[in-house]
Amino acid sequence: MWMYSFKRVLMGVCVMFAISMLSFGLTNAATDPAQAIAGSGATAADIEAIRLAYGFDKPVVTRYVTWLRGALNGDLGESYRQKRSVVSVIMERLPVTMILGGLALCFALMLSIPLGIFAALHPNTWVDRISMALALVGQAMPTFWFALLGIVVFSVGLGWLPASGVSDWRGYVLPAMALGYYATPTLMRLTRSGMLEVLEADYIRTARAKGLSRSTVVVKHALRNAVLPVVSVAAVQFGYMLGGSVVIETIFALPGVGYLAWESISLADLPVVQAILLVVAVIYVLLTLASDILNAWLDPRVRFA
Amino acid sequence: MTALLEVTDLRVSIPLEDGVLNPVRGISFKVDKGETLCIVGESGCGKSLTSLSLMRLLPTRARTSAGALRFAGKDLLALSEREMNALRGDRMAMIFQEPMTSLNPAYTIGNQLAEVYLRHRGGTARAAHERAIHLLERVGVTGAAERLRQYPHQLSGGLRQRVMIAMALMCEPRLIIADEPTTALDVTVQAQILRLLKELQREMGMAMILITHDLGVVARVADRVAVMYAGQIVESGTARQVFAEPSHPYTRGLLQCIPIPGQVQPGQRLGAIPGVVPSLTGELAGCAFANRCELAQAECRGGAIPDRVKAPLHQYRCRFEAPRRAPQASASRDSALAAH
Amino acid sequence: MHSLQIPMAPEASMAEAQSRWWLLLRRAAVVLRQWPWRRMSRNGGFMFGLVVLLSIAAIAALAPWIAPHDPLVQDIANRRVPPIWYQWFSEDSNASWAHVLGTDKLGRDYLSRLMHGARISLSIGFSAALISGIIGTVLGVCAGYFGGRVDALVSFIVTTRLALPVVLVALAIVALHGSSLPVLILVLGLLLWDRFAVVMRSVTRQVASLEYVTAARAIGCSTLRIILTEILPNVMNAFIVIVTIEMANAILFEAALSFLGLGVQPPSPSWGLMLAEAKEDIFFSPWMITIPGTALFVLVLAINLFGDGIRDLTAPKGRS
Repeated sequence: MWMYSFKRVLMGVCVMFAISMLSFGLTNAATDPAQAIAGSGATAADIEAIRLAYGFDKPVVTRYVTWLRGALNGDLGESYRQKRSVVSVIMERLPVTMILGGLALCFALMLSIPLGIFAALHPNTWVDRISMALALVGQAMPTFWFALLGIVVFSVGLGWLPASGVSDWRGYVLPAMALGYYATPTLMRLTRSGMLEVLEADYIRTARAKGLSRSTVVVKHALRNAVLPVVSVAAVQFGYMLGGSVVIETIFALPGVGYLAWESISLADLPVVQAILLVVAVIYVLLTLASDILNAWLDPRVRFA
Repeated sequence: MTALLEVTDLRVSIPLEDGVLNPVRGISFKVDKGETLCIVGESGCGKSLTSLSLMRLLPTRARTSAGALRFAGKDLLALSEREMNALRGDRMAMIFQEPMTSLNPAYTIGNQLAEVYLRHRGGTARAAHERAIHLLERVGVTGAAERLRQYPHQLSGGLRQRVMIAMALMCEPRLIIADEPTTALDVTVQAQILRLLKELQREMGMAMILITHDLGVVARVADRVAVMYAGQIVESGTARQVFAEPSHPYTRGLLQCIPIPGQVQPGQRLGAIPGVVPSLTGELAGCAFANRCELAQAECRGGAIPDRVKAPLHQYRCRFEAPRRAPQASASRDSALAAH
Repeated sequence: MHSLQIPMAPEASMAEAQSRWWLLLRRAAVVLRQWPWRRMSRNGGFMFGLVVLLSIAAIAALAPWIAPHDPLVQDIANRRVPPIWYQWFSEDSNASWAHVLGTDKLGRDYLSRLMHGARISLSIGFSAALISGIIGTVLGVCAGYFGGRVDALVSFIVTTRLALPVVLVALAIVALHGSSLPVLILVLGLLLWDRFAVVMRSVTRQVASLEYVTAARAIGCSTLRIILTEILPNVMNAFIVIVTIEMANAILFEAALSFLGLGVQPPSPSWGLMLAEAKEDIFFSPWMITIPGTALFVLVLAINLFGDGIRDLTAPKGRS
């Protein structure tokens, strides 16, 4: 198992390097950053001065290496707009996004796993069909429309939840639901098919022959084996949520990393943009690594090979 | 004296897309305390489904019905699922055919063994583990305490089957149903497992139903034999009776298929029963064996076939009297089987 | 050793061309006859998806001719007119049949904008799906066919792509390069190919291990020829299914980008843009968000059902 982990870690490191190159190249190779910082009314002299001050006259590769070296030491540069270190800017906003992602994932799991189990225990009955229909509907609905509808119903209509901001816990409810429900159909289908497959297994027949109660058979014996793929997919979905929270955060004006990214892109605050791309990607890679290892650990056949 | 298990006219039907499948079509048998009944037949004759239906482990779309299905005086068909669950694993236990997949790969052996005991007897985990160790040693697993902490994939097939046997015995059941327990094992291990089962049965006074397609196994362990074909029992009796004087054409055909070492000449055709098993979908009129039987006549294909009694406990289902057998042929067959 | 090629006389080539057409027609007839028409009509979801999809496509194609108004013409006097059903709910609304779905805050007819928006969604969705399909299929087939280091390289590329937060990357690219239609399509196409690569790879591996591929290689067919003639036809089924999935994704993605202001620019009636505009009036005119949202929902649902249906129809029989 350790060999397997090592190879995966190596791959992860290579991917992180590739991402760093991509994110740097994306933001720096395209247009002229000095122009972007200077704004539209600047003269050529101003732009030249900015170029020298920020070191844009050096070749791209040199700038990349400088940036990378800084990044490996924990310094991701300085924000153009805020005159603070990028790291502090991001760290300020990261907790909100993490909390949002975590809540969204919890919501998705709490909805999809029981539904998936239920559908698998009663295949082809109306319960099953309704769950599948819900999954279909969930996949077709755009997240931001779901969020807007939620605002209309729960904020404008019922006044239970705020339409924006996170002054208290209620500010997280709608955004978490909007972000989380998109993962629900995938997780539900996965749980359902995993359970259907596992319930056919011989060891389930053995468990029933031992006279164990239905819930013991389903939860202790079946679910334990069926949930493995769900775990890895859930971790990956969390990664997606971190990256895809932009829309939800802007709708609800949540001070998270996604909103920060959108602001920075609009304001051409390039160091922040490339740092966010890197950070989100690194978190994703770490998450997939962790979920792979968790997956291997949960399966005794891999753990004690 | 009432039998431990009494089955009368057991039927199983499974509705399918293109008709109703009737894999078990009215079988009756009895098992007394401490005795071994072997149900023998070829693949697809319904013997596994019979065993599952005794424990009421069939999938929900299968329908079980019987004139009577009594275990230790209780009517099994009238029990609720909860009451049935209390019986399973406790008073009646089952051992399955594929040891490789019959244990849950996610839990240790100890966990799965203790689970049965704790479920039916309660008590502490320690007590359950002690009993598990005791039984593992009894079934011939060395280093039992170590084994408890291991996972199924770390054990060989033979060991896993022993664990399955131990698991079945955790609560001292009165009846063990073994569905082809040795089919998936090596020949050498087969003999050991069979011997073990017999010893345990004698020691604990359990009744055993052993399902198999291997007549050698039957010869080894059976007190009584029931020969199944196409969902019906065509012949039943004590092992001695059925082997010495097989009366149903199918039984005779089966026995003829066994080549006797020393008597088979090179180039000689091995015995075989021509034809194929009829489809079990829909109703079958008359004798199911008619299309393969050398004695078949027109009246075999319609109407109910009577049970003929050859001797106390020995009966068979045929329209015709079984011809007498030559004594020396049967004696050599007996010795050949005993050598199995 | 003379070649097996039999030289054709020139007057025979005309007849040969005719017979080639004839063969093509016969082949098409065979394919059509084998098409599972029966099963298709029995699969309710598939039929619904197909019908809705074709309707929306037809509306989109004919929009310039059948839309009641010009989608860009503003009519400030008639802005924020509610849709026709408000006539039955409240007495004092000025809903009318002139604007069946009402007007937006600049007085532009919602129905016409919706119809023209369909063109945008479908064209972007389809083109992006096609581009990502080509990229992903090339990568996947090469990885699946050649295996070894090519496979490892493609796997690395796919993993890198999966690690990228696509929405952020798309936003960054569009912000830096402008949001014209070609840029949008290209960006989406360059970001949505991962599923193609993964699935094409596994399907190719299955097909490549079949005997007739080995046979083709044994008689000396070039690699390219094998890929084109043996592998590609067999991965077509999977390709079509995934094209539908990614088309739906591309449509939602474009809507999200437009919603954030970094996709299709106003005054173009992209549905995402309409939703963004409607969001500002969410407290006063809540109906405005329901209409483009429902349109998106119905379109994506239809595509998903269509794709599911194709997958069920082309799945090997005997799997239930």
